[in-house]
Amino acid sequence: SKMHFIFSDKVVLLFDFWSVHSPAGMALSVLVVLLLAVLYESIKVGKAKLLYQAAVSMSIPTIQLTEETDQDSLGSDSAPVSRTHLRWFFFHFGQSLIHVIQVVIGYFMMLAVMSYNTWIFFGVIVGSAVGYYLAYPLLSTV
Amino acid sequence: MDHSHHKETSHMAYNSTTGPHHHHPTTSASHSHGGGMDNMMMHMTFYFGFKNVELLFSGLVINTAGEMAGAFVAVFLLAMFYEGLKIARESLLRKSQVSIRYNSMPVPGPNGTILMETHKTVGQQMLSFPHLLQTVLHIIQVVISYFLMLIFMTYNGYLCIAVAAGAGTGYFLFSWKKAVVVDITEHCH
Repeated sequence: SKMHFIFSDKVVLLFDFWSVHSPAGMALSVLVVLLLAVLYESIKVGKAKLLYQAAVSMSIPTIQLTEETDQDSLGSDSAPVSRTHLRWFFFHFGQSLIHVIQVVIGYFMMLAVMSYNTWIFFGVIVGSAVGYYLAYPLLSTV
Repeated sequence: MDHSHHKETSHMAYNSTTGPHHHHPTTSASHSHGGGMDNMMMHMTFYFGFKNVELLFSGLVINTAGEMAGAFVAVFLLAMFYEGLKIARESLLRKSQVSIRYNSMPVPGPNGTILMETHKTVGQQMLSFPHLLQTVLHIIQVVISYFLMLIFMTYNGYLCIAVAAGAGTGYFLFSWKKAVVVDITEHCH
């Protein structure tokens, strides 16, 4: 079937109950989708920072690769010491839950774009830009 | 329209139920389609169901709960494998990049002195086996990621949960020891 981007105030997003049929509803939906995209970018950065800080706090050697620096100190790939094994387990389990949320939100954004509603698409793009702009510089901070 | 066939299991979404004698089912009142829109083969909202669920390929249709359970397991394993493949590629890349090449060459400096300029190169050669292997694994990863996207696009609740749960489990199992490397250049998870 032929699909193309349209400007419209009517769309059903993701769930049956999310039915938009007015300009106000569309504005609110675009805002929600925008915030979802901001959250997605923030989660990506947050996960990386959390991982680094947890590794540091448990004295695990780390390698940090960023876009700016090409310096990498080769730390050994050692497993955490037995004393902090349980702590690492709980932390890693939490990281995995965050990963699931990240995956689900990513797919939600993909499906929202698939609605082919141009306003929603703008919301996803602007939200991704804002989220990346705000969150990524935080990676270089400690 | 006769409502006696209205099944309570799938009142939310359009979902074809019994055999060919069944007319186009009317769904609940909250679901108002436009007048002549009859080609609703694709779901556009999340639903739970296991009848007449087409999965990726034309011959692959789920019709029973047992088949849906099997599909759930298969999708779960596929998502888990995808996470594992990502981790495996990262560690392979790191191992093959341990070799650092230093090229030193003399260059003229000020006042007629000679300086040594050193170039450090970290990377792989184009025709090396690690790079070819990375390329093959990359294609596999791209294909699987598109398959998972298409599976999620079926909007089937069971299959979407299988994707999410498989991704989480795969991440948990395979990232356990890898966690010392923090790579932020990864896009689109």
